[in-house]
Amino acid sequence: MTATVIDGKAFAATVREKVAAHVARLKEEHGITPGLAVVLVGEDPASQVYVRSKGKQTVEAGMASFEHKLAADTSEEALLDIVRQLNADPKVHGILVQLPLPSHLNSDLIINSIDPSKDVDGFHISNVGLLGTGQKSMVPCTPLGCLMLLRDHLGSLAGKNAVVIGRSNIVGKPMAQLLLGDSCTVTIAHSRTKDIESVVRQADIVVAAVGRPEMVKGDWIKRGAVVIDVGINRIDGAEGKTRLVGDCDFESCAEVAGAITPVPGGVGPMTIACLLANTLTACCRTNGLPEPEGLTA
Amino acid sequence: MDQPVSRAAHIDGKAIAAKMLVEISQEAAELADNGWQPRLVSVSVGDTAAAELYVRNQQRSAQAAGVAFESRSYPADISMEQLVGVLQGLNADPRVNGIIIQRPLPPHIPVKALQKAVHPLKDVEGMHPASIGNIVYNDLALGPCTAVAAVEILKTLPLRIEGLDVTVIGHSEIVGKPIAFLLMGLGATVTVCHHMTRSVAMHSRAADAVFVAVGKPGLVTGDMIKPGAALIDIGINRVDGRTVGDADFDSCAAVAGWITPVPGGVGPVTVAILMKNAVLATRLQRQHYRENYARTEV
Repeated sequence: MTATVIDGKAFAATVREKVAAHVARLKEEHGITPGLAVVLVGEDPASQVYVRSKGKQTVEAGMASFEHKLAADTSEEALLDIVRQLNADPKVHGILVQLPLPSHLNSDLIINSIDPSKDVDGFHISNVGLLGTGQKSMVPCTPLGCLMLLRDHLGSLAGKNAVVIGRSNIVGKPMAQLLLGDSCTVTIAHSRTKDIESVVRQADIVVAAVGRPEMVKGDWIKRGAVVIDVGINRIDGAEGKTRLVGDCDFESCAEVAGAITPVPGGVGPMTIACLLANTLTACCRTNGLPEPEGLTA
Repeated sequence: MDQPVSRAAHIDGKAIAAKMLVEISQEAAELADNGWQPRLVSVSVGDTAAAELYVRNQQRSAQAAGVAFESRSYPADISMEQLVGVLQGLNADPRVNGIIIQRPLPPHIPVKALQKAVHPLKDVEGMHPASIGNIVYNDLALGPCTAVAAVEILKTLPLRIEGLDVTVIGHSEIVGKPIAFLLMGLGATVTVCHHMTRSVAMHSRAADAVFVAVGKPGLVTGDMIKPGAALIDIGINRVDGRTVGDADFDSCAAVAGWITPVPGGVGPVTVAILMKNAVLATRLQRQHYRENYARTEV
C-alpha cells in the first residue's frame, strides 16, 4: 500500500474543537449560545442513532440542543407548525429535519418551509440556488466535509481535474459546485456514463458517492490521485457477520492513490462536525458577526 | 493556403426560434381564452440605449408569441429601495406574469439583490436562487434563458443525450453552470472547464458536444474539436464592428458535425425561451391561484 490514509475521525475532532472554541467566545463576548434543533419523526432505528449522536456532539461543542421527537403518524400540518415555531425561535440558529420522513409526509414541502438561514442541512431550494450561483449559502454537510478534507490534504485545488461519481442532490451535485468554486475542472460521472473507468482515470481528485459497494477499482485510479469515498455500504463479511465498505475497493485503490479516505473513519465523522460548523456559521450570520474562517465553503 | 472547407451543418437558430414561437403562441392563446393573457413587464434603469436592441427583440418575439409586453424605464438615480418597491408592486399585480430586468444597471444597483426581489413565480429570466435551485434539483422550472436555449438547440440534433460526453467551457452562474446541470439531468456526462483548467483542448477534444460561453473571440479552434461533434457557441463579442462568438467559426466548421453561427444561433432561441418561460410562469401562477384561492370543494 502506498496511499496516505486520510484520518477523517481525527480531522473531524479538530473541526469540533474549532467550533467549540468559537462557541465559547460567542458566549463570553456576546452572550450568545448557538442552538441546533433536530426534528425526528417516527422510530427509524438508524435515524434514532444519528439524532442521538448529533445531540450529544452539539452539547459537547457547548451549543444548545433541542430535540423534537414526534410520532410516526404526525400530520403534515403539525410538523409544519413545529418548523414554524423553530423558525421564529431566536434561540434556534439551525434546524434539521431528519430524513427520510414517513411516506405520508411531503419532504420537499417540509424542507422548503425551513427558514433558509436556519437550514443547516443546506437542502432548501434557495440554498441550493445560492450555492449554484456562487452566493453565500448553507452548504450541505457531507460535501462540505469532503471539501475540508481535500483542502487540508492538498492546499489549493485550483486547476485540478476532479471527477465526482454520482449525481445525487445531497452529495454529487453540491460536491461538483464546491469543487468548481475552488477552481477544479469538474466532471460528473454517473450510471449513464460511457466508459466510466477512463473518465475516472483522468482525475487528480475522485469523489465517489454512488452507494455501490467497492465499485471503483484500483485500475480506475490515476497514480497519486486523492480518493474521497463517501459511500457507506453494509455487506456480508466473514463468519456470518456484516461489515462496512465504501464505494471504492480500498485495497486496490490504496495501491495506486496518493491518499484515500477509509470507510468507516473517513468522510463519515466529518458530516456531524460540519453540521456543528454550519450551526455556528448560521448563528454568526443571524447576529451580524464575522463568520469563523475555514468552517464553510 | 486553401480556405478550410465547412463540413459542419450550420444550426439555424432563427428557424428553431420561429418554430418554437408558433407552439408558444398556441399555448398563450389558450391561456388568454381562459382569462390568463400572459403578460411581461420589462424594467430598464438609466441609460437605456445599451439595452434598447434587446428590448426591441423581446418585444417583437412577444408579439409573435401572443404575449403582452410592456416596457418601463426608470431614471438612473432611482434608489435601490424605490426599485425594489417597483418590483414588489409588479409581484403583487395579478395582471403581470413575468418581470424582465434589463442590464446593464447603474453601478449603485446590485443586480443579484434585485433579481432576488422578483417573485420566483414571475422570474421569467430564471435568475432567482429558487429557480436555479430547481434546475439543480432537476425539477420543471423557469430556467435561465440562455442556458435553456443552448440545451434546446442540442435537443434538435440527432444525438442521444443520455450518455453523451459533453464539455462546457465557462462556468458562469447564469450560463455555464446551469447548462451543466440541465445536461446532467438529461443523463449526459458533463465536464465543466474554465480559466483555471489546465488543458481545455484535452477535455473539448474528448466531447461529443462542446458548449462555449466565455466571452473570448477565437477561444475555440478547429483542432480542439472532435470530428463530427456538435459545437454550440454562446459567446457574443464585437470585433472590428462585427459580432462573433467564442469559436473560430471557419476552422471549427471544418471539423465539427454541427455548429451554431453567431449571430443567428443561440441568440434568437434565447428570446423564444423567454416567451416560453412567460407562458410557463402564467400557467404556474394559474395553478397557484387555483390551489390557494379557488378551491370549490362542496
